[in-house]
Amino acid sequence: MSAIHPSELAFITKHAPFDRMELAHVLWMLERMSMGYYAAGEVIVSPEQGAVDRFLVIKQGVVHGEQSVAKATDTDTWMELAEGECFPLGALLANRPVASIYRAGSDTFCYELAAADFLELIATSAAFRDFCTRRIANLLEHSKQVIQAQYSHSSAEQQSLASPLSSVIRRAPVTCAPDATIRQVLEIMREQRIGSMVAVDEEGRPLGIMTLHDVLDRIAIPQIDLDLPVMEVMSTELSVMPPQALAHEAALMMAKHGFRHVLVVEDGKLAGLVSEKDLFALQRVGLRQIGATIRHAETPQVLQQAATDIRKMAHNMMAQGVAPEQLTQFISAFNDLLTARVVELECKSSGLLGTPLHDGLCWMALGSEGRFEQTLNTDQDNAIIFEVPQGMTADQVREKLLPVARRINETLDLCGFPLCKGEIMASNPKWCLSLEEWKRTFNGWIGGGSPESLLNASIFFDFRSLYGAEHLAEDLRVWLARAAADNSRFLHMMAGNALRNRPPLGVVRDFVLGKGNTLDLKMNGITPFVDAARIFALAAGVSQTNTIQRLRLSAAKMRLPESEIDAWIDALLFIQVLRLRHHDEVSERGAGDDALDNLIDPETLNELDRRILKEAFRQARKLQSRLALEYQL
Amino acid sequence: MLQRWFAPKPRLTAQQAERLAAWVALPEMGMKGGFERSRCVVVDVETTGLNLMTDTLISIGAVAVVNGKIVLGDSFYVVMQQRESSRKENILVHGISGTAQREGVEPAEALLAFLEFVGKSPLVAFHVTFDETMIRRAVRQYLGLALKHPWLDLAYVMPALYPTLAFSHRVLDSWIGLFNIRIETRHHALADALATAQLLQVAQAKARQKKAITDISGLRDLEREQRWVSGVS
Repeated sequence: MSAIHPSELAFITKHAPFDRMELAHVLWMLERMSMGYYAAGEVIVSPEQGAVDRFLVIKQGVVHGEQSVAKATDTDTWMELAEGECFPLGALLANRPVASIYRAGSDTFCYELAAADFLELIATSAAFRDFCTRRIANLLEHSKQVIQAQYSHSSAEQQSLASPLSSVIRRAPVTCAPDATIRQVLEIMREQRIGSMVAVDEEGRPLGIMTLHDVLDRIAIPQIDLDLPVMEVMSTELSVMPPQALAHEAALMMAKHGFRHVLVVEDGKLAGLVSEKDLFALQRVGLRQIGATIRHAETPQVLQQAATDIRKMAHNMMAQGVAPEQLTQFISAFNDLLTARVVELECKSSGLLGTPLHDGLCWMALGSEGRFEQTLNTDQDNAIIFEVPQGMTADQVREKLLPVARRINETLDLCGFPLCKGEIMASNPKWCLSLEEWKRTFNGWIGGGSPESLLNASIFFDFRSLYGAEHLAEDLRVWLARAAADNSRFLHMMAGNALRNRPPLGVVRDFVLGKGNTLDLKMNGITPFVDAARIFALAAGVSQTNTIQRLRLSAAKMRLPESEIDAWIDALLFIQVLRLRHHDEVSERGAGDDALDNLIDPETLNELDRRILKEAFRQARKLQSRLALEYQL
Repeated sequence: MLQRWFAPKPRLTAQQAERLAAWVALPEMGMKGGFERSRCVVVDVETTGLNLMTDTLISIGAVAVVNGKIVLGDSFYVVMQQRESSRKENILVHGISGTAQREGVEPAEALLAFLEFVGKSPLVAFHVTFDETMIRRAVRQYLGLALKHPWLDLAYVMPALYPTLAFSHRVLDSWIGLFNIRIETRHHALADALATAQLLQVAQAKARQKKAITDISGLRDLEREQRWVSGVS
């Protein structure tokens, strides 16, 4: 016989969310709650305790959240929780450890509910669930903190020499058999662009190492026969450390003995290789440095390295908690710089520079690049507008420009911007046009309205100038703004087309999954916002290409309420964060660019992110109904 | 008085006798398991008055403290049926109306339920003598059992832990006031038991921190020393 005292009930139902919950649910919860006491200064929950095991409501006393484990206890209190407040919601929903230490600020009593009961309550009580997932803005804020915490954690780990070697190893070691010939080994080293090779026996135990450095002394100068087994020239004096050893120990060993590599060996087997360079790479890549490198790059190889650095920088910026809006802008800005330099170098080497052809050439970015929304795996989408110099025909100009464009496309591919599978590239004769030809083409799409024209419009109408004769792009933009706004039939069809792509939410607000039980964050998540924003912008005559700016700037003209715009933008940004994080994780794992997709399995998201993602899709739905209303669809 | 001494042996139903025997047969519970692996029951009673010989039990409230935490679902409250309701001034103290008293649970049934709730967990109270006496007398009267159960008295444990406050803090109210423990309805057996249980949590934390005491048995030793100290001073 349990006898919960009415005063406990009275207390708990004075506070949100319990005041709005059904009595039966509150009683169910109270039945399962216990009360804990924490003396002033005592730690209640901390990151070291692992995934949070209980939900707490303060019955009496004050609880302080402290951001950092390392910092002093009393100086950096950043959050104070009082009677009736619940914690730690986010960590519980996400089934992860808390990001901060919760400490009793005074003698404190807390009601406590086991995590499993908490989740059951979330499932049964709508009021409780709403409270825990109520305002997307709130949670977004929270999620940002979480992401930031995760990343600053991982980046601190990466960038600190106090991290274990296991976290420094970048990929599985490339090894060879001891009887492989020197020639074979050197070829592999060149192909894989690696600086060293380790020979291992059948059990994976390291036997010897050869580095590029050794090639000169041990092979080239003594003129060794390249068909000898590689073991003959390998160094068998190996510097070996366990994966638990710290980076600075490795650095010390290298410094002391002049080694350039340390073999990481676990259970006798080679687990990885850490080079001097890897340890230096722990230091941050500076923005200015990358910018300067790109501007002064003289060869595509240098630009390739810069492209790698941009990715690294993007990771660092996520670590520092830079908002996705700024982050994508930064990525775009550097990619712009890089692309412009690629174009410039190519114009130079092909002798175009200084000719009228070059002066009348405008390299355009399209699609996501045009919208400043590039992530790490953006395909190339580009085109050329050109002026036809006196005495030449458009076809003649095209003939001259196409080979140059082809080489630019190829170089960009080497820099990590894959060739566009749909051939939407400047090297495609269809997209290397004079200003007049572009207007004619655009006009055909606006007047036509076939599915293909609508699709093209959705890619090409996000164009902006990236290099060269900017005025051509501006001319085209002004022309387009007038042409599109005047043609309501076209906008109507664009809207109809956009509405065909529904956010993947079922009737019961659960995800509708595609192949492999995944969601396409780009197609289903980002595109509805991008499409709607484009239509609003075209209708309102806004010349910006960026989705967020389009939404903000067309709001007034389209009489869209500010609060709704904000919610849409938040939702879009959240999806963008997930997408960036996904890309970042995949490339961190060492997968190639081809592996960068937009498909995520919602099951792999934590509870919190999953909920917010649903809310974000719901916002996409709202935006679409607004679009439907506007165009009576 | 004599009537009570020589009262006829209470008549229990077969089923009640069986339940009582089952409770008696429960194994004794050790008190050295450590606060994290223990269950004790904090108890408070309301009575018709403060006279240990003539007044009787009205209600029992009890809260279990399991592994250091008060388990809200593991609590007990019963109002016992009275032959006659208590005096008016007393009703004003505990707030249980005459009707409620007469409508309570039949005493043998109530006490059996209480024993079953407690099991062999040690009992804890503030000023044990009063609660223990009232409960023992009722158990003997209605169940015919001489109750021998381990008790812990916070009225001695607290001053032992906070010697400087011993003289200024003699009653439950001053201790719970010290730790800002709030009671919504004082003099309700369950509310008082809950407040006392919170006090036990404080005591456990303090004892661990100050005296390296980690189990109920250690608190009992502390209580014994303190009884001796207050006896001689």
